[in-house]
Amino acid sequence: MPVPENPHLAAELTLAEDLALLALDDQTGKRLDLPPDALAYGLAGAIILDLSLANRVDTDQQQLTVLNATPTGDNLLDPWLKLFQSVPQPKSVAFWLRELALAQATIHEAAVDRLVQRGILRREERRLLWVFGVRRHPTVDGRERIEVRTRLSQLILGNDLPAPRDAILLSLIHGCRLSDHVFAGLDLATRQGRLKALASMDLVGREVSAAAVISLDVVGRALSEVPLSF
Amino acid sequence: MNLRETRSGAVTVLTLSGRLDGLSAPTLEAHTTRLVAEDAKRLVFDCSELNYISSAGLRVFLATAKQMQSLGGRCGFAALSPATRQIFQLSCLFELLEVHDTLADACA
Repeated sequence: MPVPENPHLAAELTLAEDLALLALDDQTGKRLDLPPDALAYGLAGAIILDLSLANRVDTDQQQLTVLNATPTGDNLLDPWLKLFQSVPQPKSVAFWLRELALAQATIHEAAVDRLVQRGILRREERRLLWVFGVRRHPTVDGRERIEVRTRLSQLILGNDLPAPRDAILLSLIHGCRLSDHVFAGLDLATRQGRLKALASMDLVGREVSAAAVISLDVVGRALSEVPLSF
Repeated sequence: MNLRETRSGAVTVLTLSGRLDGLSAPTLEAHTTRLVAEDAKRLVFDCSELNYISSAGLRVFLATAKQMQSLGGRCGFAALSPATRQIFQLSCLFELLEVHDTLADACA
């Protein structure tokens, strides 16, 4: 088995990679159609939570606190840790979600690049009308996606307590409106209460959900103010 | 955070006071990991004097309860302080964890 060039490729997927993977269509490799900014906030939350799981930051309802500014060695996370450390006063999780969401394209591209390097996705470049470049990322090996889906589905349908990382991932999936895609085919009708409870366990996941709702409201209001003229 | 361990029959009680945050959570995690490794079957957190809990603290609670459940044991949370109660409510933990009004109830 080849040894990965980057040490972090030997480690398990980051939450940002998990989320980027789940937000792609299984067959086509196209990004799933999600509400505006939902994935941006989801990826922003994933970065914060990856740093939290690495014991670099902690969060509460008021603020995000840097516990340890030592770089993790992961280039997907360390620039953001440096940014969190650079502000003179701690800011709220909602503030940082908005800031990181602005860098959605960068975070998404870095996460997808990592999945390509790991051999989970492959990159396809196509030309549309001979001019516009279209990039897609079909799955090479669906094992990771299936494994995450199976584990989280069992969690929702059963009564076991979640491992903390699974609770976090579920809250991110729910927060950025990916549940219907990830759990398509699963009969959730009688498990909505459990899904909601599991998805509410993590504070950052709840903030992602709230930010996505606000973003949707803003778009809805903007659209309702557009004059209809035929 | 201050941590005090006592025994009440077969129940191990961990009384926590002060702040359970990202700085103190590793200490609690090391303590609970040791208890789980020692095959504790019943663990109760007395949260009556816990006046702050962050995401990292909640994660230790959840990880401990999960470990105990996986090994056939039980983990309860007793006498939640107002601050802890509020966080448990926001995080829907009343629906997922075993919570008791009093320490006596949890140890019964």
